Amino acid sequence: MFWKRTIPIAIVGFVGFLTLFGWFIDQPSIKAFVEDDATQWYDILASFAIFLGALNLLKMQSQKILKKQKGWQYSIFAIGGFIFSILAGFVIKGNDAIQWGAHVTGKGTLFKWMFEFMFTPLSATMFALLAFFVASASYRAFRIRNFEATLLLVSGIIIMLGRVPIGLKISSWFVMYITLLGFGIVVNTYFKNKQITLAFVGGGILLITIAGYLMGWPINEPGLFYLPVLQDWIYNIPNVAGARAIMIGIGLGIFATSMRYILGIEKSYIGE
Amino acid sequence: MKDKQFWIGSGIIIVFLLIYNMMGHPHFLTNRTVMFFAILLFSGTLIYYTRLAKMGEPIFLRDIPGLKAVEEAVGRSTEMGKQVLYVPGIMDMDQVETVAGVIVLGHVAKMTARYETPLNVPVSRSIVMKAGREACKESYLMEGRPDLFQEDMVHYLTDDQFAYAAGVNGIMVREEPAACLYMGKFYAESLILAETGNSIGAIQIAGTASQSQIPFFVTACDYTLIGEEFFAASAYLSQKPELLGGIKGQDVLKAIVVGTILFATVLRFFHDMGWVSWDVMKFLTIQ
Repeated sequence: MFWKRTIPIAIVGFVGFLTLFGWFIDQPSIKAFVEDDATQWYDILASFAIFLGALNLLKMQSQKILKKQKGWQYSIFAIGGFIFSILAGFVIKGNDAIQWGAHVTGKGTLFKWMFEFMFTPLSATMFALLAFFVASASYRAFRIRNFEATLLLVSGIIIMLGRVPIGLKISSWFVMYITLLGFGIVVNTYFKNKQITLAFVGGGILLITIAGYLMGWPINEPGLFYLPVLQDWIYNIPNVAGARAIMIGIGLGIFATSMRYILGIEKSYIGE
Repeated sequence: MKDKQFWIGSGIIIVFLLIYNMMGHPHFLTNRTVMFFAILLFSGTLIYYTRLAKMGEPIFLRDIPGLKAVEEAVGRSTEMGKQVLYVPGIMDMDQVETVAGVIVLGHVAKMTARYETPLNVPVSRSIVMKAGREACKESYLMEGRPDLFQEDMVHYLTDDQFAYAAGVNGIMVREEPAACLYMGKFYAESLILAETGNSIGAIQIAGTASQSQIPFFVTACDYTLIGEEFFAASAYLSQKPELLGGIKGQDVLKAIVVGTILFATVLRFFHDMGWVSWDVMKFLTIQ
């Protein structure tokens, strides 16, 4: 109990306090520990721990092949890839003109070849999948189900159109007409009276047309309805306000959680 | 003044700081004084409410649908005879979100032990694998089911972001887990994971403080713990008074921050109008 719980909690508390309050102390050795040594210690530990992970990976994949579990054929590729990487990294250089160590980035080596022609395309393929997933996720998010989803859809359309060249060509007067028709739907839904809706939409169209005629139909005025201006406002004002509120919550959450670890209030990360 | 010990302790610290100040505060970076006192105030508030909760003060914690759904998700997996997939993010244990993810894993493992549901935890860091195994082992022991615990339920895939995403996607498509839980720090792979989970019809619950990934999880998952809710998960699931007290402390801190923002806005307005020469923004900016 003492070795498995008390000592680790004491170490977490000591290092946590040192790191936290070290930021306020003008003492080179403490500063060096907080900014450099502590992270290097962690990197060293993590480097050794990679063996655990690698062994576990080999064990799991080998078991799959031996027991002919579902999808065992893929495990052959996993183990094959593992062995190939080890060989390319430590045994076969592929280019004698380049020193060991430099062969990781040097041209013409097996490791570099593997990185450029196997690893990079595979990673890029996975990353490229994001485009399709974004499309399917957007479709679900933008489906009109309620007021919030409608708001999201409208904001999304404004942001997307406002950020592409065609958005610059769409007159603010056109957006005003569209907005008016949108509000017409709201008025009709609320009053359920054709005459009121007609009066609202008809009067609105008349007003916009007169105002446009008097102002000479400038494409970017009134700025409130010009898509690039509107998207800029949505992106920088309501969006940033919401994001900052979440950030404050996250910041406080991280602080409170860290303090719980440092003070030993939360101990479940090393067992109850 | 419910907690006399706390106030006596605070008084001693204040006296100590006053003496230190009178001695000329050696080695102290004076340009960080505001931050120092903010940390003291924040820490004090958290400790105060934690102690109050420990002393038996009732703490109200609102329902968090995402956390209520965790048990529901595990129950669903049990009924369907399928496994629960738990993804603790792609970062290492030096990130507080990963630690929070491992702690939630402990609670989820308790549920899977209780319901005898298979648990699958692919990880992308070796240290997370060790920590996750310890958390699961402890949970299975606490639930009186050490026989169900297998070390390999927490297994390593790879350190690489997209290779890890590919590996987890492979598990999802082959094993078709009934519940997918994503709790930790995520980057661009979040949507790849969540959309694949969605395509197999799994109930999905995500929790992260990675701000840019929250919209993706909200879109693709059934429930999402946004930022601070994720950090409250451990308190919510364990219902331990000392942890619940910390959550209340956190809420009080939020009120203090909101008050400071409003007060600073007014003062800044006065400064801009030339009514007050003192610039509150300079005072609050971290040096």
